[in-house]
Amino acid sequence: MKAVLPRFAPFSRGQLVVLALLAALPLVAPSYAASGRTIIVFAIMGLGLNIVVGWTGLLNLGIAAFGALGAYAYGILTCEIYPFQFGFWGGLLLAACVGAVAGVLLGAPTLRLRGDYLAIVTLGFGEIVQDALKNLEAITKGTQGINPLPAASLPGVDITSETPVRWFYLYLAILAVVVFLCRNLEFSRLGRQWFAVREDELAARCMAIEPDKAKLKAFATGAALAAVSGALLASVLSSTGEPANYDFQVSILALCIVIVGGIGSITGVLVGAIVMIGLNNIALPAISDAMQQAGIGSTSNVFTSPNNYKYLTFGLALVLMMRVRPDGIVHSRKAVRK
Amino acid sequence: MTETEVFIQQVILGLSNGMIIALVALGYTMVYGIVELINFAHGDVFTLGGFLGLTIVGALGAAAIIDPGALGETSNWLLLVGLVIGCGLFCGVLNLSIDTVVYKPLRRAPKLTQLVAAIGVSFILVNVALFWGGVPMDVFSGGAAAAASKDFPEILEGSNLLGEDSNVVLRLEDIAIFAITIPLMIGLTLFVKKTRLGRGMRATAQNPIAARLMGIDTDRVIAATFLIGGFLGGAASVMWSVYNNTISFQMGFRAGMDAFTAAVLGGIGSLPGAMVGGVLIGLIRAMSDQYIETRWTNVVVFSVLVLILVFRPSGLLGLKQREKV
Amino acid sequence: MRSFQSFLRASAAVLAASVSMGALAAESVKIVSSLPRTGSANAQTTSMVNGIKMAIAERGGKIGDIEIVYEDWDDASPQRGNWDPAVEAANADKAIADSSVLAYIGTYNSGASKISMPKLNSAGIVMVSPGNTYPGLTKEGFGEENEPAVYRPSGKINYFRVVPTDDVQGSVAADYAKELGAKKAYVLHDRELYGKGIADVFKKSAAELGIEVVGFDGIDNKASNYKSLVTKMKQAGADVVYYGGTTQTNAGQLAKDIVAGGLKAKLIVPDGCFEEAFIAAAGAKALEGRCYITFGGVEAKALTGKGKDFYEGYKKTYGGEPEGYAVYGYEAANVVLAAMERIHKAGGKLTRESVLAEVGKTKDFTGALGTWSFDANGDTTNRTFSVNTVKDGKFTTVKVVQ
Repeated sequence: MKAVLPRFAPFSRGQLVVLALLAALPLVAPSYAASGRTIIVFAIMGLGLNIVVGWTGLLNLGIAAFGALGAYAYGILTCEIYPFQFGFWGGLLLAACVGAVAGVLLGAPTLRLRGDYLAIVTLGFGEIVQDALKNLEAITKGTQGINPLPAASLPGVDITSETPVRWFYLYLAILAVVVFLCRNLEFSRLGRQWFAVREDELAARCMAIEPDKAKLKAFATGAALAAVSGALLASVLSSTGEPANYDFQVSILALCIVIVGGIGSITGVLVGAIVMIGLNNIALPAISDAMQQAGIGSTSNVFTSPNNYKYLTFGLALVLMMRVRPDGIVHSRKAVRK
Repeated sequence: MTETEVFIQQVILGLSNGMIIALVALGYTMVYGIVELINFAHGDVFTLGGFLGLTIVGALGAAAIIDPGALGETSNWLLLVGLVIGCGLFCGVLNLSIDTVVYKPLRRAPKLTQLVAAIGVSFILVNVALFWGGVPMDVFSGGAAAAASKDFPEILEGSNLLGEDSNVVLRLEDIAIFAITIPLMIGLTLFVKKTRLGRGMRATAQNPIAARLMGIDTDRVIAATFLIGGFLGGAASVMWSVYNNTISFQMGFRAGMDAFTAAVLGGIGSLPGAMVGGVLIGLIRAMSDQYIETRWTNVVVFSVLVLILVFRPSGLLGLKQREKV
Repeated sequence: MRSFQSFLRASAAVLAASVSMGALAAESVKIVSSLPRTGSANAQTTSMVNGIKMAIAERGGKIGDIEIVYEDWDDASPQRGNWDPAVEAANADKAIADSSVLAYIGTYNSGASKISMPKLNSAGIVMVSPGNTYPGLTKEGFGEENEPAVYRPSGKINYFRVVPTDDVQGSVAADYAKELGAKKAYVLHDRELYGKGIADVFKKSAAELGIEVVGFDGIDNKASNYKSLVTKMKQAGADVVYYGGTTQTNAGQLAKDIVAGGLKAKLIVPDGCFEEAFIAAAGAKALEGRCYITFGGVEAKALTGKGKDFYEGYKKTYGGEPEGYAVYGYEAANVVLAAMERIHKAGGKLTRESVLAEVGKTKDFTGALGTWSFDANGDTTNRTFSVNTVKDGKFTTVKVVQ
């Protein structure tokens, strides 16, 4: 493995460029700061999934379930109707712990399964979590959703829904920390174990790496990051929403972020989140509004409403992307080469 | 209703639902067995089959060629078989074209790349189904209701075969499911076991390179696999539509998920496994609805799946996977 | 890196395009609606949007010389085929960020309002819902203990609705079940805020009326069929089935499976199914003479007075029958516009604050729904309900409750 990047720098050049690009968003278009938070939330979920899928080579189709657990943990630990009320930071950290524990609980019995068997188990786990959250009304309030939830906070700074720009920058700082952590993991002993397990489990075992342990750690870390993203989303919504928010489609979206951006690359995941969420939550609604103002088409007709082309746009983008640039927008030197 | 009647009824329902799932699962498992791809688009190919079925039935009805309600018994069955073949062929060709256009150039790409391409195709097909609409096709009417579920006309007469007073309900649709799926399954098994192409399939599934060296045209084998898998999906979509009497552009999602689960439960790549898995999932769903609570049914299904995989990591009938080095 | 650079260029272009779109003419105010426009509620919401547009058009698109700009926002996403909390939250944020937005008409789904209400409340934007019926949004004692205070962080009321709530509707349905001679009711819901809420009310009211509730369960609204569940209901001996749910949560399939499964019970569903899409999904055959739909109000063609004008006008303008909720879209817009006119006439300035205050003062308002007022909670004093069934493929009213 060629270590070409100076590992002591906190961020690589690519990561800095993308973070700076995100930081410029509220300066260029302040009205998009609010939706910009969603990009960050999904970037963090993508980074978590990247550890599992990109670095360790385990296909996880239920990452959204950990997001759900994070959101509900955050809800229960911070909402005024429960006795805990840990506040934003306490809730966030504990949500991460809940995610990690859930990752271990799911991973321990199932990680010895081969690739696609594991995929269906994670998919099933996603469904189980969703239904359990819906049905355990005594704890989760079922489909009521838990609200209100505390906004992001920072001592000395007033952050509310009316100040989305401040909120955005706080989330960006959290993202920067996550990127920093991921980058350190990538170059750590554990990171190298993950790559080894991904490339060849048998050979890794010969090198005295315990694949099961390494996989479990990857699963737990990925789950913890996904839980953080869930908690951050809940804070944006000021509600856990309902369990169906964290369904299979969200897991797929996260997977697309990782793969379109560039599997295995932190910069890639960030780019992937900007492209996919930017397209989904910013560009398409903006086009829709613009068309409406210009009087072309209407939301009443399926064929002239841009929203109804979302699946088509996404689908075509994915297929073309895989044909033209299968390694993703940002190509990782260390990506899977099988 | 006595307990026994209830149990018998749930077994009938579980089997009927399960057979449809099994038919879809076969499409997943065949493709996976040959090219190791989870064909995410399979569920949506299935959806389009249902929409074609609705369009055909609607067009026949509109053109007053046949009134589905006033058909004689024989012509009902003829229509059903015709739909199965028509939609089956459509889905088979569609599946094959998807493979040729999208998957084939990616055959040597990493597995995840293929998977994402399949997800992409799935999205495109969902959108096509959304635009397809019902009868008359929404293309011509602005389509405000395009996303709504569509009523699929009753093709087979819906009365209870055990008599109107019987507590247990057995309808022609249940019989039709068995009458159509079982021959298809037997046919498929014989095809794979006895024919030259079937042998080629088995060989390619085991080791594509060795198969090619033995003079098997693996491209042709793969094409046949997609064609047959799609055909079964199309046939399943007709049975599904006739049985549930509703189709919607998102129906492939749940059907696909159930079928994929069934394929894995039975051991992905194994044909009998997919059949057993499908029937098992149908039965578990019925029993859970009856004896637990319907809101827990999904949890029960997936918990059973996880448990079985923990003890049998390659599914019920899957071969123990050799370690690939 | 080449494609990365082109990506940068592309995203810069998108941003530039979106910034330039923000510009608007000087003398104008904006009314927005946030309704599920993608997915199967589209037919219903299209009708509501038409109602809103009609109300604006009747005033020539102007209050005095101030232009009314209307924007029709979608709170659904195709992924969900239904309202999406993230989109609704984004809509609320967008409204807050755009200072020309003075009124927010929405939402259709009660769950969506739970997300946007507190945000809009803090920002002091008036919100008029043409569709929410979950009582906890405005009334104490129906949902969580912290409801509805939790939606009013500013302490003021900014949320009003022109539809009567589910606590009344659920008991109307129970009364009707009693009238049908029901002895054993099986109550189902779709495990969503609206459906579960109204099913709870039905269950309670039915028990009070002496109807035995033999089962209460949440269904999986993506299931392919409910035949097994129907068998369970048959075993329980249910003679009436109540489903708290909507067309979007598979009410049509349930109706069909009840018939196919040989369960000879009546089905009662709430207003979430009072749309043509429900008949299209279930097929008229499965509904005729055995399904009853409660609705807060009367069907459009039975409206009187201004309501009749609306009905005629709608048919003339849009060339089709309005869906059940169209008139509520019309009424919601009218309430807001009338308040704006009053402010303008009194020489006041149209601001978020003044519009909010003026809408709250709506009293003895004579609109398409008759004469009604907003009570202290922001609810309409209108209590008209109808029970409808399906005949010859069309909804027909069988009973009106005042």
